[in-house]
Amino acid sequence: MTRHHPESLSLMDYSAGNLSEPYALCIRLHLDECSLCRSRVDTLDSLGAVMMEQQPKVSVSESMFDSILAKIDSLPSPQPVAKPVPRASVLQKLLGDDINNLPWKRQLGDVSVLDITEKFPGQNEQVVLQKLVSGGKAPAHTHRGTETTIVLQGAFADQNGVFNQWDFVVLTDQDEHKPVAVGCEDCITLSVLSAPVKLTGTFTRMLNPFIS
Amino acid sequence: MTTLEQQRARGEGRKDPWSQLLVKVGKSQDRQAYHSLFEHFAPQLKYYAMANGMASHAEELVQEVFVSIWRRACLYDWQKAAASTWIFTIARNQRIDMLRKMRRTSAEMQVETEDLWQIPGEDDNEPVTSLHRLMSERRVRESLKHLPEEQITVIAKVYMEQKSHQMVADELNIPLGTVKSRVRLALNKLKVILQDQNV
Repeated sequence: MTRHHPESLSLMDYSAGNLSEPYALCIRLHLDECSLCRSRVDTLDSLGAVMMEQQPKVSVSESMFDSILAKIDSLPSPQPVAKPVPRASVLQKLLGDDINNLPWKRQLGDVSVLDITEKFPGQNEQVVLQKLVSGGKAPAHTHRGTETTIVLQGAFADQNGVFNQWDFVVLTDQDEHKPVAVGCEDCITLSVLSAPVKLTGTFTRMLNPFIS
Repeated sequence: MTTLEQQRARGEGRKDPWSQLLVKVGKSQDRQAYHSLFEHFAPQLKYYAMANGMASHAEELVQEVFVSIWRRACLYDWQKAAASTWIFTIARNQRIDMLRKMRRTSAEMQVETEDLWQIPGEDDNEPVTSLHRLMSERRVRESLKHLPEEQITVIAKVYMEQKSHQMVADELNIPLGTVKSRVRLALNKLKVILQDQNV
């Protein structure tokens, strides 16, 4: 399992542009808040640049440069783009301004879920938001395949430690855990599941996250 | 970081001719500088497009990357990223963007490619000090000289051919664990591996 920060191999796949959209989203959300991992990715982006430089070159025709010039001359605004105004964050685009006020579906006890897989058309993974009320407990469970989770709000604790906002966790079918929401906010996470969750207790009716 | 290191890093940044040219394009729309960048990077970008299976769109990718370079050059800050790193990330994003658009309509895409994959050095609010970035490319180049060929081969397939670790293992006919350990050894040298995750 991976705790708090993404694993180096995942960051390399991110830098190389090889991750599917849901996994890239998890990494990006983490990078925006973690200067340590941002600098790891900077190094990996430089690795990509040096790799590209060391590969063979394929000649291009001089006429291609002419057609590029023609293209930039025909750009709608003659001036290059201005510094963009701050854009809505990717989370706002996907989930709106208040992640507490989504059409959550209450599951067992303290757990609510919202499946947002349809926001990632053409991707193979299931993407699920999970909410555990402050102080609430989720049932013990393991996973089939892997579950990659990023904490969007609040914090949860399990036998491996405390996971705070923007922490990153990857659990495999070897990991069983029983998370508890800690702190005064409800804990909301976004999880990418490569395969459905397997409950280890007596619960049978769902597929879930904190069931993460 | 000491003042001496800062001075050295700034000196290195100034010495990088591509970053200087890119700054000229950004500041004064210098077409001669733009042409020099084209001569240097276009053949690399065309190989990049061909290696990752976009042969029929290779020239289109190169053109799109260069139009993007022209439009974004005013946002480029040489203190935050070397020109080659910046251009690599633009090419990567352009490739992803083209593949996404081939697969679906834009109405289906709630999230833009740049929401997921960031171009370094364009956002003032990034939590990273610029000097760290400036040094990273020089450090990578230096470290790569000392890496065994078998490690570089694996990394090249990931970056240039967009292969998963499993695909690399199948192609080289070696176990998946061997691929991963080669990558980890290399990333350890590059100081990408965190101390407590060196597994």
